[in-house]
Amino acid sequence: MDRRTFLKSMAATGVAASVTGTGGLLTERVQAAGKVDIGQVKSVKVDVLTETSWFDNDIFKKNLMDYGGAMTNQYTIPWEWNNAGGYSALITVTGLDGKERKFLMDTGWNNEWMDYIFTEKSNVASMLKSGEIEFMVQTHWHLDHFWGIESTLKHKPDITIYAPKTHYPEDIALLREKARHIAKDKEGKEVLICKNDVPHTGKLVECSPDGEKGEGIYRLMPGAAVRMFDVPILLRVRGENVLYFNVKDKGIVTVTGCCHPGVLSLFSYARSNFEGYKPYGCYGGLHITLFENWEPKFDDIIKGVKSFQLQKVGCNHCTGWVWAEKAAEAGIPVVKGTNKYKEYKKHSTVAKASNVFLTNGDSITF
Amino acid sequence: MVELSRPRQPFSYVVGPINFAAVFFLVWALWYVFMHPDGSMKLYTPMYGFSLVVMFLCAVVLLSKVWDFYPFAESTPGDSARIGRGILLTGVAFALMLILVYVIFREFIGRFGVAYFSPQSIVASGGTGAEPYNARENASTALIYFATAFLWWALAWNLGFGRWPWIGATRGVAAWSRTFAVLFFTIVTFVILFHPHVCYLFYPPQNKAGVEPWWSNFAGTGSAYFSLGLVLCSLAWVIISDLLWEGYPWKLLQRNGESTFWTGAATMVGTLILGGISFIVLLKIMNVYWMEPFEGGQYTDAPYFRYLHTGEIGGFVILAAFMLAIYFNNIPNALSLPLRAFVRTLIAVAGGLAIYWFYYSSASTLILGKVPGIAQPDDTPLVWTMLYLSVIMVQAEFFQNWPLPKPAR
Repeated sequence: MDRRTFLKSMAATGVAASVTGTGGLLTERVQAAGKVDIGQVKSVKVDVLTETSWFDNDIFKKNLMDYGGAMTNQYTIPWEWNNAGGYSALITVTGLDGKERKFLMDTGWNNEWMDYIFTEKSNVASMLKSGEIEFMVQTHWHLDHFWGIESTLKHKPDITIYAPKTHYPEDIALLREKARHIAKDKEGKEVLICKNDVPHTGKLVECSPDGEKGEGIYRLMPGAAVRMFDVPILLRVRGENVLYFNVKDKGIVTVTGCCHPGVLSLFSYARSNFEGYKPYGCYGGLHITLFENWEPKFDDIIKGVKSFQLQKVGCNHCTGWVWAEKAAEAGIPVVKGTNKYKEYKKHSTVAKASNVFLTNGDSITF
Repeated sequence: MVELSRPRQPFSYVVGPINFAAVFFLVWALWYVFMHPDGSMKLYTPMYGFSLVVMFLCAVVLLSKVWDFYPFAESTPGDSARIGRGILLTGVAFALMLILVYVIFREFIGRFGVAYFSPQSIVASGGTGAEPYNARENASTALIYFATAFLWWALAWNLGFGRWPWIGATRGVAAWSRTFAVLFFTIVTFVILFHPHVCYLFYPPQNKAGVEPWWSNFAGTGSAYFSLGLVLCSLAWVIISDLLWEGYPWKLLQRNGESTFWTGAATMVGTLILGGISFIVLLKIMNVYWMEPFEGGQYTDAPYFRYLHTGEIGGFVILAAFMLAIYFNNIPNALSLPLRAFVRTLIAVAGGLAIYWFYYSSASTLILGKVPGIAQPDDTPLVWTMLYLSVIMVQAEFFQNWPLPKPAR
């Protein structure tokens, strides 16, 4: 019995509860007493549908600054609509039998942008209608990953969705009802910040750290699983679903929306809980230099990623261009993107020629 | 620190707890107005609000502990004038906070000397991430570190050195002299422990102005939360030995009732050693509970969080020590000094754990508007703790405990 397992059983006794009083953390400890085998896949391909959640950092941060900063409830800020984009990816998994299966990760923010992405820049819309996209994993409830839900539901309102159970009433209203959320600006003027005219009628799998059978994960298909990390996140959001794949002959790959729990913590979790753990790669927003700022702790992450010996790092979105560039310079195997994003009608003001981001229109295969 | 001589009037164990509850609700109201995500000011960004709160606390400490209320009277002649004195000094402290933050640091030092104290100077310098929000957070971070160093030296100096070496000097001379002495050591501490971190808040790092954080190789992080945790743990022992141990054992080195150099040196070294021990013990406990952190880990896996969390726990214990001293008459009082000091320390530690439980419970989510959970990068209990301490110190120092009995000076 290792220390963590021992402590998990201690936590179950409630001894630790008196010290921390944090039920979510304890739940996380109680489950996962033994390692789980999630199976294997032949390969995983991620198509970056859109990673530009907003186009101008300065406008986004001004909205944040003007209405109370990172702890503010996201539904109370009158976000600049024209600055909104969205985050979404198409995941294609090839099983050991050679069959391909597809699902969607996240559904973006601005409906006009997401409709453009799903219909003009990809054939996600038709794949949703035909059922080729089997289900959707909602990584977390942040605006840029979720508020574009109508763009998905208009093509398949009964799609099965895996989402963190740590939602608020506003989230569920937007998902399940015909909803219009309003925020007030400084002059008291009401601003429509998101809407959905197509209520979700399908199954909602509310993910918790316990997992579906108390083993800490939700199995999507052999070799692919979702793990919910119950962590506090900015803008009053809580909890994130993380995708784990075990790629045959390569190792563990994480695919994330924002990776709020921390990329190395995800691999640390896999090391402690998955049979045959071997680190291989990651894709997604890695939530580091979100606003292209810097802190000494970001240098720590570069050193840490090197020590975990990841073979393939595909990053974008909230990773921050500045971190990705610095990581690449430090020898981390950052997979470079292309200039396809320039063919889109809008692109990020922080995109650089270094192409260290896998951005809109790019893909990566593990 | 707060006067612990027996009050002139008997302490009421009914009024004390009622006052305790009233202050809790006052802090709640202040939090709602200034910090709460659904409140009016929404200053908990978090660093901007943090810097304002900690600078207000600095202003309270500057007035009461460094200046010894100079040029105001040390105490009111009777009970009647306490409210007026309290209102006046609170207003002065608030004005001092505004002057320190917006005039001295932002407009003077930040504009004409050290750019990172001024959001405007950071934005004007241009480059990656130099936009108003980041700039304000980074300038606030620098202020918080400076304030931490100041609080440490001001409170430790007051406890250890007292009036030494200006025992025979006028109040004005002593106030100015202590100010310069405390500021000298504050600046040295800031430069060594915190400035390297602030220089590395920018990209590219300002490595001609500050060395790469020298603790990064053995601490597993370049973040100055390492230093912050250590300083706050030491500060907790300054408060404990002052409030709960009645100034002992450092007082044993006094001569003729006055502090000496050796009293001060022993206080600094002693509280630093105790702080270092508690820092290490708390890290070990966290390692047992969360396993060892690793470089590059985030949330509870992050070394920088573990260091910060030692300081946050230190803050909870400081708060509990103040609550015990002010609202519960520093019980127990009937035992011998070593025994009552020991029991009070146990009570303060237990109280600190109770506050810890409260802060991370769903009750605090409801009251403070924080997201449930621990180690969120945009949340530190230090802000609420400092706000609470500010209110308690204002009552104790400026209002001379009103409505509780006035302490004898």
